[in-house]
Amino acid sequence: MVVLVLLLSILVYYSIPAVEYYGSTLFTSTKWRPVEGDPSASSYGLLVPLAGTLVTAVIAVVLATPLSVSAVFFSEELIPARFRGVRDVFASLVDLMAGIPTIVYGLWGVAILAPFLKDNLYEALYEALGFIPLFSCKPVTGSTVLTAGILLSIMIMPFMYAVMREAYRQIPSTYREAALALGTTKYEYSKIMFGMLRPALLAGLLIGFGRAAGETVAVALVIGNTFNMPSCLLAPSYTISSLIANQFANASLYPYMTNVLLLGGLILLLIGLASNILGLMYLRRVRYVA
Amino acid sequence: MPDVRRIKEKVFIAAIVALTMVAVAPLFHIIASVAIKGSKAVIEAGPSFILDTPAPPGASYTGGIGPALLGSAWLGVLSALLGTPLALFTAVFIVEFRDSRLGRAARIFTNSLLEVPTVLIGMLVYVVVVVPMGGYSILAGAIALAIVMLPYTVSYVERALDGVPRTYREAGFSIGMTRSQVVFRVVMGIARRGVLAGILIGIAKAIGETAPLLFTVGSARNNYPTSPSDVLEPGDAVPLLIYQFAQSPFDNWHDLAWGAALVLTLIVLLVFIAMRVVVREVRV
Repeated sequence: MVVLVLLLSILVYYSIPAVEYYGSTLFTSTKWRPVEGDPSASSYGLLVPLAGTLVTAVIAVVLATPLSVSAVFFSEELIPARFRGVRDVFASLVDLMAGIPTIVYGLWGVAILAPFLKDNLYEALYEALGFIPLFSCKPVTGSTVLTAGILLSIMIMPFMYAVMREAYRQIPSTYREAALALGTTKYEYSKIMFGMLRPALLAGLLIGFGRAAGETVAVALVIGNTFNMPSCLLAPSYTISSLIANQFANASLYPYMTNVLLLGGLILLLIGLASNILGLMYLRRVRYVA
Repeated sequence: MPDVRRIKEKVFIAAIVALTMVAVAPLFHIIASVAIKGSKAVIEAGPSFILDTPAPPGASYTGGIGPALLGSAWLGVLSALLGTPLALFTAVFIVEFRDSRLGRAARIFTNSLLEVPTVLIGMLVYVVVVVPMGGYSILAGAIALAIVMLPYTVSYVERALDGVPRTYREAGFSIGMTRSQVVFRVVMGIARRGVLAGILIGIAKAIGETAPLLFTVGSARNNYPTSPSDVLEPGDAVPLLIYQFAQSPFDNWHDLAWGAALVLTLIVLLVFIAMRVVVREVRV
């Protein structure tokens, strides 16, 4: 508890000088040009990493939502009740996914996923859909915004699954029985069930979003770490957390850089807390319905 | 005439199964790659993999992860020592004062800590511990990891304490025990396996973390932290080594990173399995 207050106050305390010195250019400039010993010549624009964080997290949530919803329905409904063992194994598998250290995901992402996506997906996307601005840049390496988004979606899926599964299990069995008694097919049944779960799905989405925005090392390995606006998904970019990971250790060499990075940290903290609190609020609403 | 509803259902089920397979497929691919690439590196280096220092960049052999492994062991032990008492007291506080405003606040704060990006904890410890101490140290890393494990352990222990039936508490009070005696002798005693599982899950989470170590541990890749006073010196950790070697352009360092990933995954898995065993025995 003290930790959180301390964290918040330190982040605020150290970000103030940066905001005072650079003002709103911190959020409008896309340039990142530290100059040793000369703060007025340096330029620290947080716009690119901020946009990168949001874009990668949105991609991750968009991709992970159908996967985790399917996985919930699969494990709770499609595995027959008499195969309880299979259901348990499936749940442990997903738990295991949440337990694998993030750095292992990062290593796999940079060494296997990125080259694979570049050869098999990005080239084709660029050829076929190059007229859409999102895919209009020629993929040079596998380290791109899209790779980061895909890797993040794999990483947050287990968390979203866990939130949604817990909510799904709380649906009272009278509702299930009522739906089944109407002679619904599995498809219609799922529509009724997930209709009741809507707040929990939103909660899962938000919690996944918070996780994705805060993830550091795995993203730092696959996003390419380049100051590019993430307007094209096939180009490298930056996120706030990967910026911190790459620059914080040397930041004391440059005036104000530490402050700017702590400001970035403050933004991350606010994104994380906001998505968490909103998510919990939605979850509470589920309990009321059920 | 084909029944549209049935067809819809078939298509729907097929889609669900396919999407679920897509969702779990990466897990198998990751485990397979780590097992294959990692075991190749480990077998080539033999026992020296867990004993030696890393090879120079670009060399024809990989070397080992000895110092990093030892550093991770120190980090695990120290962060458990620092984090466990804090987590236990927080959990007790939350359970005992559940209805008071302070208790509820503690609960919300601990839960929010779970959502704080771990890299921020690294920054915090850098500002509060590393700068005043004048340099990176294993101790600073352990403090960061203790903060990381806190919310996991608290929520687990909290649930374990909550699961103790009221009658035991009442029995304790009825023989004239004070509140603290009831909590620490009776409730804690009954929930001890749950408490142990909470500590284990905290360690498992902490030992695999990279981001909090980036600016706290340093990366002293060639000295072995053997004596307890070495924890005040910079050290290394397995996840940190993987992160930095994965970014390097050298093939032998990539192989080393895969081997290290295998070792790290095995350690985390072992702790998780230990935890499951502990939890299962509680149910019986």
